[in-house]
Amino acid sequence: MTEQIDKALAREYEAGFVSAVESETFEPGLDEDVIRRISEVKGEPEWMLEWRLNAFRVWQEMEEPDWAHVSYPKIDYQAVSYYSAPKSMKDKPKSLDEVDPELLRTYEKLGIPLVEQQMLAGVAVDAVFDSVSVVTTFREKLEEAGVIFCPISEALHKYPDLVKKYIGSVVPTKDNYFAALNCAVFTDGSFVYIPKGTRCPMELSTYFRINEQNTGQFERTLIIADEGSYVSYLEGCTAPQRDENQLHAAVVELVALDDAEIKYSTVQNWYPGDEEGKGGIYNFVTKRGVCHTNAKISWTQVETGSAVTWKYPSCVLKGDNSVGEFYSVALTRGRQQADTGTKMIHIGKNTKSTIISKGISAGKSNNSYRGLVRMNPGAEGARNFTQCDSLLIGDQCGAHTFPYVESRNPSAIVEHEATTSKVSDDQMFLCRQRGVDPEKAVSMIVNGFCKEVFKELPMEFAVEAGKLLEISLEGSVG
Amino acid sequence: MSEWLQQAIARADSIQDGFEDQRATSLALLKDIKWPTRKTEAWKYTPLRAVERSAAIFKEESPELEPVAVEGLEFLELTFVDGQLVSLPEDLPEGLTIEMQESSLFAEIKPERHVFGLVNDVLAADVAVVTVAEGVAIEQLLRINNLLSNGAQGHIRVIVDIKAGASLKVVENAEGQGASLTTAYTEYQIGAEATLEHYRFALQAADNVAIGGCHFKLLESASLNSSIIGFGSDLQRIDTDIIHAGEKADAKLNAIYLLDGKELFDLHANVEHAVPNCTTEENIRGIAGDSSRAVFNGRIHIHRDAQKTLAELNNRNLLMSDKAEINTKPELEIYADDVRCAHGATIAEIDKKALYYLQTRGVSRSQAQLMLSFGFINELIDQMPTAELAEWVRPIIRDRFSQMEVK
Repeated sequence: MTEQIDKALAREYEAGFVSAVESETFEPGLDEDVIRRISEVKGEPEWMLEWRLNAFRVWQEMEEPDWAHVSYPKIDYQAVSYYSAPKSMKDKPKSLDEVDPELLRTYEKLGIPLVEQQMLAGVAVDAVFDSVSVVTTFREKLEEAGVIFCPISEALHKYPDLVKKYIGSVVPTKDNYFAALNCAVFTDGSFVYIPKGTRCPMELSTYFRINEQNTGQFERTLIIADEGSYVSYLEGCTAPQRDENQLHAAVVELVALDDAEIKYSTVQNWYPGDEEGKGGIYNFVTKRGVCHTNAKISWTQVETGSAVTWKYPSCVLKGDNSVGEFYSVALTRGRQQADTGTKMIHIGKNTKSTIISKGISAGKSNNSYRGLVRMNPGAEGARNFTQCDSLLIGDQCGAHTFPYVESRNPSAIVEHEATTSKVSDDQMFLCRQRGVDPEKAVSMIVNGFCKEVFKELPMEFAVEAGKLLEISLEGSVG
Repeated sequence: MSEWLQQAIARADSIQDGFEDQRATSLALLKDIKWPTRKTEAWKYTPLRAVERSAAIFKEESPELEPVAVEGLEFLELTFVDGQLVSLPEDLPEGLTIEMQESSLFAEIKPERHVFGLVNDVLAADVAVVTVAEGVAIEQLLRINNLLSNGAQGHIRVIVDIKAGASLKVVENAEGQGASLTTAYTEYQIGAEATLEHYRFALQAADNVAIGGCHFKLLESASLNSSIIGFGSDLQRIDTDIIHAGEKADAKLNAIYLLDGKELFDLHANVEHAVPNCTTEENIRGIAGDSSRAVFNGRIHIHRDAQKTLAELNNRNLLMSDKAEINTKPELEIYADDVRCAHGATIAEIDKKALYYLQTRGVSRSQAQLMLSFGFINELIDQMPTAELAEWVRPIIRDRFSQMEVK
């Protein structure tokens, strides 16, 4: 019996394997010296080190937030290692041939379109393996268009002015506990700059993986879309099966200048822990974008992984007529806990925002939507629409909604709606009557429930997301 | 900790009336409590400056005050002036009893989490206990008057026990003169198949502080119909808790708040579905004008076994001025799957098209505004089961509207 269960568990998490790549890893622990070493390894300019140290001092003064509807054992920040780089990175590979074949095999197992698939998928991949970006493809094609897409550590050397101008401009160091920690110890991430009036010729994509045991992953992504430009950015994550909790505190900053548009899509499938909630990733992410005049930022996320998710991709609608969107599907099962949602801060006139959030809870999990819609006094004629739907599968799970709505402008219109229900007996009966087995029926119903969000995803991502939900829901019916 | 709270604790410490032991638990909690700030979730939008600044005192002698008359209604009056009970109804109908507890009675219904609930525990001098005997229907309305003279401080607590199959109608009426401060809590236990028709009117002066709550515990097949109407003041906070403790209980809550000037009104409505097969319907409407601030928090909590629950909350707000502010937070916390739960919240101004339409028919702009905002509220007033009360409150609300300056 136990054997069967073990088998079933092993099957559930397809991406759960550990690749044997040698890594250079810092000893666990965090103090100013560790930060100096990270900065040194990265060969960073002096101002960056100062910025990190300042963030570290701020972080030490702060308290870990406890308002989210999640509970987890206290994190010992001194037991985490703050840097890990694949060893074969030492002499920077010039092409794919020079890359550790073990790494490449890892990507292939995950189905990342790197080698031949590159052309077919038409995706430029900046693959982050633990903390250092390993390989960046399609660089040349992007360069032709003037698009900069590189690891942020590289951008610090090549485009220090751009980085200095925008880093921390959207998510300030003091923003929150986890963002401050990220500022102090972030190791790498992606940097994107789209020049004026440019439509990025392809969808940009980053795959994250957490690999080294006990290694905190602190990514930092900065995307700048200059006036009138457009970019669609995909982020997807999978992580190998682990026993110890792994900490992940990323920061993503988006800047959409006048008339620019950024579409940011995420499929998140970190290891959620076993059925008892053991292991699994802690995902504490700060994502925020600033929209200038007529700009648009659209967040789409499919969250199926992590033991604990704490994530609120937000839009600051600073410029007049700017638009913010948030489409989210969050699925929790087992003992997963997700507290996710968005913030829409309306500052400019005629700003518009749409929030569509779909939460699905199964097993013994808890799934919360937490959102803020704020109409500032200057948000003349602003408009918000929010729809939060929750679906419960089984009677041991929880679905929660915590929306904050604040309005200080009478001409602004805010609407919020939320519903909670289960997969209805009628729907199930209809499907079963047509010979669809119960598991498949639930998967179909859930897919329909999430359709509004899936249609916002780029095509390949939508397919992957649908498949991910199906796999995740296995065994939750009955 | 604030100076005000320290004074309250000091006063409670000095009371010697033989009930020290009962007071001890609340007093201990209070001594340990953190004074709420902007970072305290339950007080996020409601600053306590008005309490901190309040110079309201406990008066040795209070003037004689009379509660407002309502045409066509004779109440059974239970009247407190400055926190002291001054009159008990004479000739109680059969089955209704009112007893006095000399000091605080620490009942189970009110949650402990509230700092001012604890203040009330230790400072409420006269606690009235109203009991309706099994199966008795009391036709006449019982009115609980909380009257405060100028500059006075008073704390009142009433406990109402409606036994199985009985029914009662209660009006809670607060009339505070200027610069007063009060905490007023009522606790209701509604027995099996018993019904309660409940009103709470907080239509008082603008420069007082009133904090309080109504806590309802519903046993099997009990039914509650509650209407709350509030104007704002320096600080007006009402916490309602509806606890479904028996199956097939049904609760309906209608609330209205109308704010003008620099008023602040904060309504926290919490519903606990602890058992299966209960229903809740909440309709909350608010209008904020001038530079007022409205706060609403509506939480529905469905416990693990509370299957077949039906719960709905609807909060609609009109924002009338660009200096006013509305903060609303409808919350759902759900741990059972076979339930139907929904909430909605909107904030907007008066429909411009409707306004235009009325103007094309020769109605002046201000008159049109009055008609539309009154219509917005009147829907809930129409639902009040006692028609005389609806008739009484309608002109008061109309007056309020005509005073409200609309830009």
